[in-house]
Amino acid sequence: MEGPQVQLFVTCLVDVLAPQVGRATVDALEEVGCDVAFPSDQGCCGQPAFNVGLIDDARRMAAHTLDVLDGTEGSVVVPSGSCAVMIAHHYRELFADTDREEQVKRVSARVRELTQFLVDELGSSSRARCEGCTVAYHYSCHGLRELGLEHQADVLLQDTTRVELEGDKECCGFGGLFAIEMPAVSTAIMDDKLDRIEASGADTVISGDVSCLIHIAGGLRRRGSQIEVKHIVELIGDGT
Amino acid sequence: MNQPVTFLGRAEALIGTHEADAVDNGVRNFLELREKAVEELPALADLRDRARAIRLHALRHLDRLLAHFADQLQAAGGHVHWAVDAADARQIAADILQRTESRLVVKSKSMVSEEIELNDHLEALGLEVVETDLGEFIAQLAGDTPSHIIAPVLHMTRQDIGKLFADELGVPYTDDPFELNRIARVHLREAFLLADAGISGVNMAVAESGSIVLVTNEGNGRLVTTAPRVHIALMGMERIVSRWEDAAVVLETLARSATGQRLSVYTNVITGPRQDDDPDGPEELHVIVIDNGRSQILAGETAEILACIRCGACLNACPVFRTAGGHAYGTPYSGPFGSIVTPGLHGMDPWWDLPFASTLCGACEEVCPVRIQIPKMLLQLRRQAASEGRLPGWLEKGIARYARTTVEPARWERAKRWASRLAGVIATDGWIRRMPGPGRGWTSSRDLPRPAKESFHDWWRSNRGS
Amino acid sequence: MDRDSFLTRVGRASLTSQLPDSPPISADLPELAAADLLALFRSRSQTVNAVVHGPVTRHGVPRTVTGIATGHNASSFMAWDDLPTPGVTSALQAVGMERIDHVVPLGSRIEHNLGYRDVGVGITGAEVALAESGSVVLVHGDGRPRMASLVPDVHIVLLEIERLDRTLALWAQKNPTLVTETTNLVLVTGPSRTGDIEQQLNLGVHGPRHVHIVMIK
Repeated sequence: MEGPQVQLFVTCLVDVLAPQVGRATVDALEEVGCDVAFPSDQGCCGQPAFNVGLIDDARRMAAHTLDVLDGTEGSVVVPSGSCAVMIAHHYRELFADTDREEQVKRVSARVRELTQFLVDELGSSSRARCEGCTVAYHYSCHGLRELGLEHQADVLLQDTTRVELEGDKECCGFGGLFAIEMPAVSTAIMDDKLDRIEASGADTVISGDVSCLIHIAGGLRRRGSQIEVKHIVELIGDGT
Repeated sequence: MNQPVTFLGRAEALIGTHEADAVDNGVRNFLELREKAVEELPALADLRDRARAIRLHALRHLDRLLAHFADQLQAAGGHVHWAVDAADARQIAADILQRTESRLVVKSKSMVSEEIELNDHLEALGLEVVETDLGEFIAQLAGDTPSHIIAPVLHMTRQDIGKLFADELGVPYTDDPFELNRIARVHLREAFLLADAGISGVNMAVAESGSIVLVTNEGNGRLVTTAPRVHIALMGMERIVSRWEDAAVVLETLARSATGQRLSVYTNVITGPRQDDDPDGPEELHVIVIDNGRSQILAGETAEILACIRCGACLNACPVFRTAGGHAYGTPYSGPFGSIVTPGLHGMDPWWDLPFASTLCGACEEVCPVRIQIPKMLLQLRRQAASEGRLPGWLEKGIARYARTTVEPARWERAKRWASRLAGVIATDGWIRRMPGPGRGWTSSRDLPRPAKESFHDWWRSNRGS
Repeated sequence: MDRDSFLTRVGRASLTSQLPDSPPISADLPELAAADLLALFRSRSQTVNAVVHGPVTRHGVPRTVTGIATGHNASSFMAWDDLPTPGVTSALQAVGMERIDHVVPLGSRIEHNLGYRDVGVGITGAEVALAESGSVVLVHGDGRPRMASLVPDVHIVLLEIERLDRTLALWAQKNPTLVTETTNLVLVTGPSRTGDIEQQLNLGVHGPRHVHIVMIK
């Protein structure tokens, strides 16, 4: 089946800490007919540096990312709202009035967050499947507020048994390096989130960003909770 | 005040305390109220755009508007004073009070008065200053500072207040809010009627008429500016709009965002002192226009923060404010707005860490009635702090190393392999429970999934060949 | 600091200021769905704990006001000189209520003020009622003391039924010069309130505890 060519930007967190999310992404994309390419020189989009104000380092990583993605074909699909926002929105200010301005325009125009790509762009009939589980969905902040990601999760989760999660649009407290710069505050916010997840009755909590997921999973695990934590794509594609 | 010098230090002292719990409950209540108010007015989105345009226009023409405001107010019989900094403002206020032989002063809520530390100064000169906003009155009695710009004693429970009144006012203990309210009303009514002077803030000045607008719920703002002979209004120089119609638009967004009310109980528009045919009102009106670092902010990249109309919605929406409370920010201006304004007014020493007290979740910008781009300015200030070398060494070096590594594919592969091997040693069951150095910040309260044995890159190479 | 130096500093700052562009907006305020203004006003007033009476005929107003005042056991009152209907103050005096003098003498202000310790009722007119928020607009001046809507426990507003508008922004747009022509104008939206103690709503903090709006036809 010849479908659209896409480039996978897998993100550094997925690459290192949650490669199953990357595998599930490939599977989910291929299932709807995409021809998935993976520019293997990719590293990090630069967001961790950007968010703490270390602009030169951010630029360095961003320049490398641009070079890796430029000249490839098709949409750049990213299984993370925050990384997608970084490339699609923030690269512009990093390279304003430089000779990379055109390159930034080219590349950022091609970036798609995964759920947005599946639901809005492809109009695919992909659905999340979770036999015998009760799911709660946490909306990651960057995706929600900077990309407007909201209905995509509703569409993808419609065949699951889903429960309300109070405060599902509130921050999980990760905030990137904030989590280790201001650990007491990050933990306090996380505790609120975890309390609500536990109160929701869900046995599985889902989100679209691995940054939130490692935070929530790490906290739940520390509490001895049995609640499973998954990226939404893991319920769509296989991890194999 | 002896408090820790860093945001984190102050926050650690407050998190999980009774005060922080009270704040959490309080702001969630405000958020719910705001939600209802916002839902019912589809035109509110348009009003927010209008309010933003109005405020930005005012900032662009600030000197001209201030000049016109002063001319108009003077023509109406009012006085305008210009205070370049806090000391200047305190001096001007003190001079007016001394010249008018004012001994007893009643005050309604004014963030600017906290900012310039006016009360202590006046009290040192022998004046009696009574806060009349119920929350501020309570804070004053407790010898405390307000913790939220709209709800000053969000951090106190009714029992705290009941005990306070019993101890300080000599009344029998009660924690019934209705009774506490009544006690305060009777106690403060005397003060209003006996006062020589009243000091208020200014929610908004209207340039075309030389008017000042005061927005309150309790009635104390009106009493403070009507009963005494002298009225002194403290005005942050940026709190101005061009015309009455503009003020009306901004007022429609203000109360809804702050507390979910459609309008506050009293919206008072004052244009000069009592005229010959007025039966009541103050005989002297003095507006003190205050800079105190605002021109510094105006001159730079965070100028947009001056569009703020002090509704407090960003505080209520902020997960950091909710958990750490207002006192963690160290100044009268807390929450996301405070994180930008405080380093702006008072410099990066020691306030550079306030812009870092945020997860950049963006909830603040979402609720701001004038759509201020708060996360953007937090990032700008972080950049400034980084360029001034204020970031901890481990962070700077760690990020530099990470950047160097991830831009070179071979180096990145080696680093990942190394991390995976290390993880194999220190992880149990796929999780890391303890990390050294800055990583301790994470593992003190959370586990971390271990770097995978086979990264995504590895898997792709093995299965898809490249 | 002197005015010129102050404003020069501000002007200089504006030169390097990095303010974003303003969002585009149209000159006209957005259209609102048609509304029965009186019904909307009643409903919104109720939400802010004010009570709307009537519409009452002009002749019936003194009786309505007296009823409200005696219902609150008031023994004293303040009133604007120019109320929309005649006979109100005499009706109150006829049932034994004392009218408080409201002209504050320049010389003995505090002595006069202390007479405001306990005033039962204050009666005013209003310029307009704003339906969306349940507010009334009071314009003060000759014969219209500010204290009448401030110190008493009960505030009674007399308002002709035609004086209704939709929102503050719309009304301000139609009356752009009103503020430039008055010394003191107040929008009153229900009785005074506070949520400062544990967010619990309490009415009658420093201003009136009860607001009654008598609509006149």
